[in-house]
Amino acid sequence: MSASMKAGSENIVLRSLEQIGNCGLFLLRMLAAVPQSMRFYRETVRQLWFVGAMSLIIIMVCGLFVGMVLGLQLYDVLSIFGGTSATGTVVAIAIYRELGPVVTALLFAGRAGTSVTAEIGLMRATDQIAAMEMMAVDPIAYVAVPRFLAGMIAMPLLSCVFCALGIFGGHLVGVTWLGIDNGTFWSNMTATVEVVKDVINGVVWKSLVFGIVVSLIAVFQGYTTPPTSEGVAYATTRTVVASSIAILALDFVLTAFLM
Amino acid sequence: MSQRPSYAVGTGLFIVLGFAALGYLATQTTSVVNQSRGPSYIVEAHFANIGQLKERAPVKVAGVRIGQVQSIVLDPTRETADVKLAIDQRYDKIPDNSVATIFTSGLLGDQYIGVQYGNSKKTLADGGTIALTRPAQQLEEMLGKFFGAGGVADNLSGSYRVRARFTNIGALSVGAPVKMAGVAIGSVQSVQADPVKLDAEVTLSIDKRYSQIPDDSAAAVFTSGLIGTQYVAIQPGGSPDMLKDGDEMVLTQSALQIEDLIGKFLVSGSSADKKGAEPDNAGKH
Repeated sequence: MSASMKAGSENIVLRSLEQIGNCGLFLLRMLAAVPQSMRFYRETVRQLWFVGAMSLIIIMVCGLFVGMVLGLQLYDVLSIFGGTSATGTVVAIAIYRELGPVVTALLFAGRAGTSVTAEIGLMRATDQIAAMEMMAVDPIAYVAVPRFLAGMIAMPLLSCVFCALGIFGGHLVGVTWLGIDNGTFWSNMTATVEVVKDVINGVVWKSLVFGIVVSLIAVFQGYTTPPTSEGVAYATTRTVVASSIAILALDFVLTAFLM
Repeated sequence: MSQRPSYAVGTGLFIVLGFAALGYLATQTTSVVNQSRGPSYIVEAHFANIGQLKERAPVKVAGVRIGQVQSIVLDPTRETADVKLAIDQRYDKIPDNSVATIFTSGLLGDQYIGVQYGNSKKTLADGGTIALTRPAQQLEEMLGKFFGAGGVADNLSGSYRVRARFTNIGALSVGAPVKMAGVAIGSVQSVQADPVKLDAEVTLSIDKRYSQIPDDSAAAVFTSGLIGTQYVAIQPGGSPDMLKDGDEMVLTQSALQIEDLIGKFLVSGSSADKKGAEPDNAGKH
């Protein structure tokens, strides 16, 4: 009993190591295929439309609500110390440094990552990928790379939109609803928030890394899924789970580096 | 191929929107807003202590922002901080004997440089120097001036012990300094509750150098600063006999809790009013 459990756990460790190794090799194959896929740049634009522009609505709505709830909570806590004028500052810093990139990446994994995995997985299951190989079209260059590049480009842009809407939401609750002075809100924010530390390091770099990781996991899971309906289902689930863990773990590492 | 795909426009819009959001975040919500954009001229000022002053801190006259701190470097030969101020070109009528002072906005706020105009006819020009400066006031120094806080004296020449009894020692702990006239002369050796007399017995270890303390001196538990640590202050008496090893100090004053203090202040204020009112009432009756 215990021996079989031990063997099972060993198996899990070995399998996850194998997955990570394959994932890294897959990234190298995709990078090698990037020049070749420039021929299909229209496909990249189409994917950018699909994973980026089509995610805008959910990102904007979520950003607005995250900013609003932050404004509400911070106003409540800061009023204990009589420091409600700092609401704008704390909303901006919390959104730029953490919530913006992380929540956008989690939403992006759920909204775009899963559909990329399912799409590529079904291509695999219905032998479309094998057909491409027969027609001498490299499926990595035509299917995988455009989706990967699109995710990498879309994530930072979506993150910026999320942050802008978050600030707007915080302003809506703090100033319009709870009556913090408009000028104080902005001047305290602009006095504390810094371009490089908060916007570039916090929003842009973090979300670029998250975009790379989420797209890589989504494309890899779809590309290597077993060609069955069950396999596609598992691959989609794994995309969300692995992306979420990778996002949160990398968030810590990146914060430690970029601080 | 010639027909433009319908999604291409949408994708372009998405990219433009994303960069517009980035531009908005970077320029409207960050400290970029506060950087002076117009032409400016540079003026130098030397401070003995800049406290927490940072680059890009505002320079103000009469509370209005006229420029910002451009750079702060230490002049190693003179142990002063060379601060370069970038002042907007339109404020070019600053007298050359103006005084630059480092202020703190609020109790815990950021520091800025305030300029008070002098009466000279000559004005500061680019590359000029504000000769008159006042350094940053450190909160610790200010409190220190009030309460005479200092370091604990070292026990090089040996020490002798005296005991003192307090009804309340507050937060006094072992190792706390014993001070006379604000100068540390020893430390608290031990703090014990007396099970019989129900008070606190504190053993003070006082440096042998200070052996001329009259035996009717009073010991009081004071707090350094508003929220600082507590120490024992010795107020010398007038007796010809001096404290010796193992003696007990009779006159003591217990720690004042800030709550008691505020309470006394409030209550004594109101009771004094009553006392003042009573004779009046008595006179009327």
